[in-house]
Amino acid sequence: MEPLPNGNSTVTNATTASATATSLPSLHAGVPSSKLSQLTESLKLEHQFLRVPFEHYKKTIRANHRAVEKEVSAVMSGLSDAGDLSQDDAVQHLNSLVSRLQGLKRKLEDGSRAENLQAQRCRARLDHLESADADNISEWNNTRLKRILVDYMLRMSYYDTATKLAESSSIQDLVDIEIFYEAKKVIDALRNKEVAPALAWCADNKSRLKKAKSKFEFQLRLQEFIELVRSDNNVRAVMYARKYLAPWAATYMKELQKVFATLAFTSNTGCEIYKVLFEPKQWDYLMDQFKQEFCRLYGMTLEPLLNIYLQAGLSALKTPFCYEDDCTKEDPLSQESFRKLAMPLPFSKQHHSKLALEEMATNNNGKITCPRTGLVYNYTEVTKAYIS
Amino acid sequence: MDLNNIKDAFDRVTKKQKVSSSKSQEVVEQMSQEIEQALSGIQSATNSTFPQPDHNLILTELKAKLKEIAPLGQLEGTQKELNLALSKYIKLLEKHFNPDISRSYRNVDFDLHTINQIIASHFYREGMFDIGDCFVNEAHEESVVDRKTHFLEMYQILESMKSRDLGPALKWATTNHEKLRQNGSDIELKLHRLQFMEILQHGRRDEALKYARAYFSPFANQHLPEIQKLMACLLWAGKLESSPYSELLSPTHWAKLAHELAQQFCNLLGESYQSPLSVTIAAGVQGLPTLLKLMNVMNGKKNEWQSMKQLPVPIDIDQEFQFHSIFVCPVSRDQASEENPPMLMSCGHVLCKQSITKLSKNNSTRPFKCPYCPTEVEVGQCRRLYF
Repeated sequence: MEPLPNGNSTVTNATTASATATSLPSLHAGVPSSKLSQLTESLKLEHQFLRVPFEHYKKTIRANHRAVEKEVSAVMSGLSDAGDLSQDDAVQHLNSLVSRLQGLKRKLEDGSRAENLQAQRCRARLDHLESADADNISEWNNTRLKRILVDYMLRMSYYDTATKLAESSSIQDLVDIEIFYEAKKVIDALRNKEVAPALAWCADNKSRLKKAKSKFEFQLRLQEFIELVRSDNNVRAVMYARKYLAPWAATYMKELQKVFATLAFTSNTGCEIYKVLFEPKQWDYLMDQFKQEFCRLYGMTLEPLLNIYLQAGLSALKTPFCYEDDCTKEDPLSQESFRKLAMPLPFSKQHHSKLALEEMATNNNGKITCPRTGLVYNYTEVTKAYIS
Repeated sequence: MDLNNIKDAFDRVTKKQKVSSSKSQEVVEQMSQEIEQALSGIQSATNSTFPQPDHNLILTELKAKLKEIAPLGQLEGTQKELNLALSKYIKLLEKHFNPDISRSYRNVDFDLHTINQIIASHFYREGMFDIGDCFVNEAHEESVVDRKTHFLEMYQILESMKSRDLGPALKWATTNHEKLRQNGSDIELKLHRLQFMEILQHGRRDEALKYARAYFSPFANQHLPEIQKLMACLLWAGKLESSPYSELLSPTHWAKLAHELAQQFCNLLGESYQSPLSVTIAAGVQGLPTLLKLMNVMNGKKNEWQSMKQLPVPIDIDQEFQFHSIFVCPVSRDQASEENPPMLMSCGHVLCKQSITKLSKNNSTRPFKCPYCPTEVEVGQCRRLYF
């Protein structure tokens, strides 16, 4: 509470006193409320932290359910399809159904074990968010930085570093390494110019990709077509197009026509429009495309968290003073690399005057020395002369 | 942050998930039981001499029974409830959290190589050498490895200090004696003092005296009272705990000195004491909520955001991120600059030069009233302030 100025009327004193008395006892005695609201605001940024493992959990539940439905309906139709059977055939048929159901039982047990594990992970994340309070905030912030770094490593495909960093701080439950390993298979294959794993992934997530109006599968199919044209397999290319490209015709006619034209131009064309279609960078493009689709499906940001926080931080710190020769080393923007990243970002805006002498003051018993005159002042007195 | 309703919603999900999976198990169990029963019916028919129902009849009965059980229908019911809980939880997350924190991200060239170098340096300066090496390998940023060696020495010194070995620290301080002195640091003396107390604490008075003679003399000019105090400690050898100097034995001296050493070490390397990556990310965490709110207000004006040279709103970040003294004119709200510097008026209030020019109607001898107090001020009496 602000110290009351001199000569305050007793009335004001009385109201403040009663206000204090009626306010609920704070759980965080001694922590200013601005700090707490700041903490709450920062926790609200953690959507991805809760969402990603939950999407994974949901996906597992759905897959398990689909498997049960498939097996059960297979058994049901297996039964109803059985017409007049000899006795031996009937026994054999029923036996096969029983063993099928037994297999399903085992699958169910494995499935529910996987579901429970993932539920645990979701809960660990909730607990971790809840554990953040004023007492452990610096440690919690440290962990957050590590989480952000692991996220970066995973998105950039630096899997070894991601794993090592997570293990060294025992934060495996707080990062999404497993999920990204699913992506790794597809990315590695695309790097080797193979589309099969990517197509399998599309099939796995068919309904959700469709809902999001994803173009990714179409792009994969186009690339396969191009590869057939490249290898002069024109007949197969046409057959392939009939089977896999035609269904997309209604939505992407223009692109389809353009790619079909490669049959006429062939892979050694000099025509710029068609030449690019045969370039290896198309595969890089597919990789990027996949990463985006993948992130979107799991409710992740499309940019690495690190980049997002870096941009926000750089903008908040960027002032014209950072670029002066006497900029303190403690300011990240005194470094060339940080200045480079901050270049395309806006400067921060200041509404209030600020004195950056606090550190000097805390290190010197509240005294600061004037660099021009050498005179020593009390920090508190200095701010007094500094009206705004 | 109150997570209770989110936790409740999550509990509902796991409960429904458990119900659903035990339902599946139950249904499958039911089906196998029926089929097995039918199977044993058929098999007993073969072994029995009595006339038994025909196996095809049993099969038809089984079909009817399973139809009655309607396993798919049963599964659907629980699954529906589970789906409801799932989508409810997701909606709740979207409501209570910021579902897209990349909304204020500027789509600019954010150089990968630069970011990687920053990260590699961060690992090394935080003493995570193995992870740093792993990263440098994976990301092919070999040029950063140089930075490792500097920090390797620092962490070795700090590690030794943890086990109360000041050897490496003293060696470093002696080597850098001149530079430390120029920076006005007395850390070398502090290290010697700690070593001296360490010897004395173990009761080896003669050795302590020898140590003092060997190492304190170069500091005698500047730190005489301090050294006198230390010499007086010699008298209390063996019962330092009850001496007026017992404070010197406090283990906090070790922690404090380790902190100071790290600071001085970074200083000599020309590095900041805190990892610039940690600082920037921490500032980002504090600043991002404001930026996201700004995006809400600017709704849709993505182009305007991309080209903005200065943020339209201030971002409140902690004092620890305030590296520069900034003066904002209380009249014009402009940030002071070389062209528009802060001026101290004779009453002690400060405005920017342009505001003073405006108030005085550009007449240097015409007095005007300070906007903050009743004093009459003349432009000629105003002096420029330097921060």
